[in-house]
Amino acid sequence: MTLLLAQAEEPSLWSPEWLPLLPQRLVVDLLTNWGAPDWLVSLAATGVAAGVVLGVFMTAFALLSLIERKTLARVQNRIGPNRAGPFGILQPVADGIKMLTKEDIVPAKAEKLLHLLAPILIVVPAILALGVIPYGREWTPVPMELGLLFFFAVGSLTELSVFMAGWASGSKFPMLGAMRAISQMVSYELPLVLSAIAVIMVSGTLSLPDIVNQQGGFHLGFLPAWNILTPWGLVGGLVFFVASIAEANRCPFDLPEGESEIVAGHMTEYSGFKYALFFMGEYLGLFAISGLGVTLFLGGWQAPLPGLDFVPSWIWFFGKLAAIIFFFLWIRATYPRLRMDQLMRFGWLGLIPVSLLTIPAAGIWTLLWRADHGLLAWVITVPLLLVPYAIMTVLFNKRLVRANRTYRFAES
Amino acid sequence: MISLLILAPLILLAALGAVWKARPVHAALLLALTLSLGGALYIALGAGFLGLVQFMVYVGAVAVLIVFALLITRPRDETEEIARRPKSVLPGLLCTLPLVAVLLYAVGRNVAEPAAEAKELPIERIGELLFTTHAPAVLAVAVLLTAVMLGAALFAREPKSFGVRRLASALGATEELGSPQSADKPAPAFQNPPTTK
Amino acid sequence: MNPLAILLTLSAVLFALGLFAVLTRRNAILVLVGIELMLNAANLNFIGFWRYGPPDPQLTGPMFVLFGIAIAAAEAAVGLAIILMVFRHTRSTDLNAPDSLHG
Repeated sequence: MTLLLAQAEEPSLWSPEWLPLLPQRLVVDLLTNWGAPDWLVSLAATGVAAGVVLGVFMTAFALLSLIERKTLARVQNRIGPNRAGPFGILQPVADGIKMLTKEDIVPAKAEKLLHLLAPILIVVPAILALGVIPYGREWTPVPMELGLLFFFAVGSLTELSVFMAGWASGSKFPMLGAMRAISQMVSYELPLVLSAIAVIMVSGTLSLPDIVNQQGGFHLGFLPAWNILTPWGLVGGLVFFVASIAEANRCPFDLPEGESEIVAGHMTEYSGFKYALFFMGEYLGLFAISGLGVTLFLGGWQAPLPGLDFVPSWIWFFGKLAAIIFFFLWIRATYPRLRMDQLMRFGWLGLIPVSLLTIPAAGIWTLLWRADHGLLAWVITVPLLLVPYAIMTVLFNKRLVRANRTYRFAES
Repeated sequence: MISLLILAPLILLAALGAVWKARPVHAALLLALTLSLGGALYIALGAGFLGLVQFMVYVGAVAVLIVFALLITRPRDETEEIARRPKSVLPGLLCTLPLVAVLLYAVGRNVAEPAAEAKELPIERIGELLFTTHAPAVLAVAVLLTAVMLGAALFAREPKSFGVRRLASALGATEELGSPQSADKPAPAFQNPPTTK
Repeated sequence: MNPLAILLTLSAVLFALGLFAVLTRRNAILVLVGIELMLNAANLNFIGFWRYGPPDPQLTGPMFVLFGIAIAAAEAAVGLAIILMVFRHTRSTDLNAPDSLHG
């Protein structure tokens, strides 16, 4: 409804700011000219908006699958895919055709229904989550007052579908992979939500477009008022991005599907299009969670410097998203995989206490900032976050040095 | 009203499945379905906040915990459960049917005419109430959740690091307090009767 | 038909189903499933009375549901921890399995 109201201003149809909304506006115009009832118009508008988002991110998914391989190859001093089309640009198309034409194998010991449902239930939450993110000043596919809560509520469905995949396959590796995936997701959802709570506290709303609007403007004339440029926001943002790597099952937290240990985890018994669906769900989930990170901490579609407002806002959003995702690729190419106990210890003893600290820091910061004690806010919150962090680092390092590795099987 | 009429039978069917399915994992997944349909019903009734919270807590945490416990304990085949059924269903029905009868009788007798206008749960009001009227309750829940987290972590730890056990092992009574499998372990060699010449 | 009556009927039947599960199931985890159903039925009543009752600025019903959900989560966590603890001793989640009193 908000979308329809916003269009009452009637800007030029072809202005770059409104370009992503063009299909939606055309459909709405067409239907109203035909005299369609209101509910049909709003239904069609939502449908087209969802279609645009889906189209954009499917393209991005195809591109990313190529760019990821190219980047990894570059880091590892290889060339990467270069056979299909110039510079291997048609590789995603070739992959897609291969996936579609492969045989779909369902193991004899599998639970047929759950085995079929699992890949679908992995893709659906990711798509739903993409719907509430504000991509541009005017471009939020489904504006929702409870957007942030909706995002996390929908995201929690993924855990169950991973379990379904692991259990319904009826063999060992999927089961082990599912157990790993569930424990990892449950553990890392906590720091994710806790660092988002600091943002909710400061902005006083669960609506994602409002959260971005509040990060508009500049301090001292050039510093953007993004959340990441505050002490609590920096800490919270870092925690959020680390936890989102784990939530998206990416290296160095990709134990649930670590190829060298448990084949492909919960996806072992899937082939053909169902496997492609898992792959797609994973990448769409990556887009959604990093899009949320951009929205909460990096100012969403806000321009990074004053005077850059003439660039359409959604370009800034996708630029930031691309930067974050490139950073994830870089991390993947650089770090080795963690061990399960290291992963759990890092989540529960590292990320969760730090993200808990951001909440009081954000509270103190907001109180002082609103009372116009900007300097005092820095002086109080920075030590509040830094001192416990330093203590924790010392404790962690102590533990790391002391712990002896036991070789249970190698030495006997 | 329409959404209520659509959702109510679905919820009932899913709950029936959760209660009746013999295979534990199916029952747990159907519980998740029941609870998420319940969340959808909350949203349809205008309590969107509660619906999403229900989704997040029940589907994202409680159902996952139950499923995880099932994964760890690996309940045996469901044949035993089915074999027991004829014996357990009748007493179960005997206990629940009177309850249903009484409740439905009460519902049928005196339900006030409902307010017609649609309501939307005001989130900001909830926040206000949580930190004014219900502040003591929030604190109590916070303490409860902390205690639960510590307690669950303590329970789930390896038995050997448990307080009583550590004390016992320090006193040399390791196996006596241990799990019952210690009974079928082979007796240590030094307990064999000494061979006399 | 009266929507409140439908809602109350639904919650009554849900509660009975939960009770049935608690009474007939032998697996402790599935008993917990029944308990969750019963708690959910109670929550449904609170929402129903808030929605179809007179306007309430104190939002008593929804607030109760909010706390109820928090407590249900706590109960599930502790319950499952205890079940796992028992499982470690008896290698079974059957409710009749822990029948000896020693540690």
